[in-house]
Parts: sequence; C-alpha cells; structure tokens
Amino acid sequence: MDIRVDKDACVGCGLCVKDCPMHVYELQNKVSVPVRPNNCMGCLSCHEICPAQALEHRGVYPARRHYIDIKVCEMLRKVI
Amino acid sequence: MSAGYIDELHDAFHSDLVYRSEDIPLDCTPKPKEMEQTLHGVMKLNGLVIRSLEEIAGRGANAVTYRAGKKFGHEVAKYFQKREDVEGALHELSDLLRGQYSFEVWKPEDKETFIIEENGETFIYLVFHDCIVRQTLRRNGLDQGGPLCQTLFGYVVGAIEEITGRKAKLEIVHTGPNACLKKLVLK
Ligand code: SF4
Ligand code: SF4
Repeated sequence: MDIRVDKDACVGCGLCVKDCPMHVYELQNKVSVPVRPNNCMGCLSCHEICPAQALEHRGVYPARRHYIDIKVCEMLRKVI
Repeated sequence: MSAGYIDELHDAFHSDLVYRSEDIPLDCTPKPKEMEQTLHGVMKLNGLVIRSLEEIAGRGANAVTYRAGKKFGHEVAKYFQKREDVEGALHELSDLLRGQYSFEVWKPEDKETFIIEENGETFIYLVFHDCIVRQTLRRNGLDQGGPLCQTLFGYVVGAIEEITGRKAKLEIVHTGPNACLKKLVLK
C-alpha cells in the first residue's frame, strides 16, 4: 500500500497512530509517518479519524457503498 | 374510495403477459437501479429490528443473532462440496457469500504463511471488504461489531464447520469504514 501524509496538513494529534490496528503509523517530529505501510489492510479507519484530512492511500480497494442517502445526495447535487 | 382510483389500481396490476409454471425468471425485476429504494428500505428495517432487539434482549441479542447466523451457515453450506483443506473451504465460502460479502485472506508482513500458529492457536486472518452488514449499520448510524455483525460471524462459522467438518470460531480484530479484519480460529 502506498500511504502518503500531507506534512503541512498533519497537526500531529496522533489519532491515526492510536487508531490503526496494524500499527502502520508513528509520530516523528510531531508528524505522522507510515512506517509499516505493508501492514495496512485498507480499513480506512485512519481517514475517518484524521481531523486534518492529511492522509492518502493509493491502491486501496474501495468497498461497495450502499448507505449513501439518495435523497440527501439528490439535494446536494442540486446545491453543488 | 373512488371508482377511478380502483380502476387505476386494477390497471397497474394487470398485464397481458402469459405466465407458465415452467417460466423461470432469469433476471431480477425491476432493474437493480430501480431497486435502490427497496434496498434502503430493507437496510432501514434491518437496522430497526436490530436496535429493538438490543433494547429488549441487551447483551443476549448477540447470542440470538449468532445462533441464527450459524444455523443459516450450516443450512446453506450443506449443499456445497465437503473439503478438508481450509483453503478449499474458504474458496467455497467466498462463492457462497458472493454479492453480499467479499473477503480475502491476509497476513501481517512479519508472518511467513497465511495459516498462523500462535500461542497454541491455529488461525487465518480474513479481511472483509464488501459487506452488506457494514452498509446497513452505517446507513442506520449503528455501531459495528454488534448483533448484526454476529449474524455474519455465525454464518461464516456455520459454513466453515459444515464444509470442513471442523469446529471454528471467528473473532473481530478491527472494524473499519472500508474493511474489517477478522480472525478465523480453527479447532
Ligand atoms: S487503512 Fe486501516 S490498517 Fe491501513 S493505515 Fe489506516 S487504520 Fe491502519
Ligand atoms: S490523525 Fe491526521 S492530523 Fe493526526 S497525526 Fe494522524 S495524520 Fe496527523
């Protein structure tokens, strides 16, 4: 897995370090560094928890999503 | 109720189709796109049933749904080829689950093989990617890992037991928004 952290965006909160079940990240100089990217199994919990949206995974399998609320999405499409 | 409305209803449910008992429908009707609302309805209903079950049965809800899933797994896998090798059994299982769940065997980078022996236990890590249960829970704002997940657990365990003839157990290692890691313990 190719994991990238936007160093400028990362606020060094360490939430991804704590939350990742595979211990992929380490905080180094107050920035998260993916030290074990090959241990990543693509759950994307880190994306959900990162307050800075600083993470990027390349090569992840995107699970099928059925839970998007159709009515909300229709409204959003009209607005955006 | 007006006569016009009743006529409209009759028209809506009348067709000129000739249906014979040997006519086996080969496609779903309507097209999947048109079934989105139905799918959402089913997911909402499932979520409500699970929430109510948890409210009434508390922690016992997990045992109920696990048992239901396990029975279902045994029932469905009865018609599948019996396999002694775990790899073959997992292959059968992925055929069984196709369309609703997809999974792959997985190992951390420090492990040599997919079948791992540790602390007297033999297990395999499974990463579940597509999962209708996860979709349902997130659709309803419910936590992952609760009674609805237990149904899937029971189902996998029941199917593996039926196919291999060995006792098995499934443990949650992690639940995520895009994939979940589970440990299939073989006995
Ligand atoms: S996707 Fe999951 S396993 Fe991969 S780095 Fe993020 S939290 Fe860890
Ligand atoms: S959760 Fe986001 S902001 Fe916090 S340390 Fe990790 S990458 Fe940086």
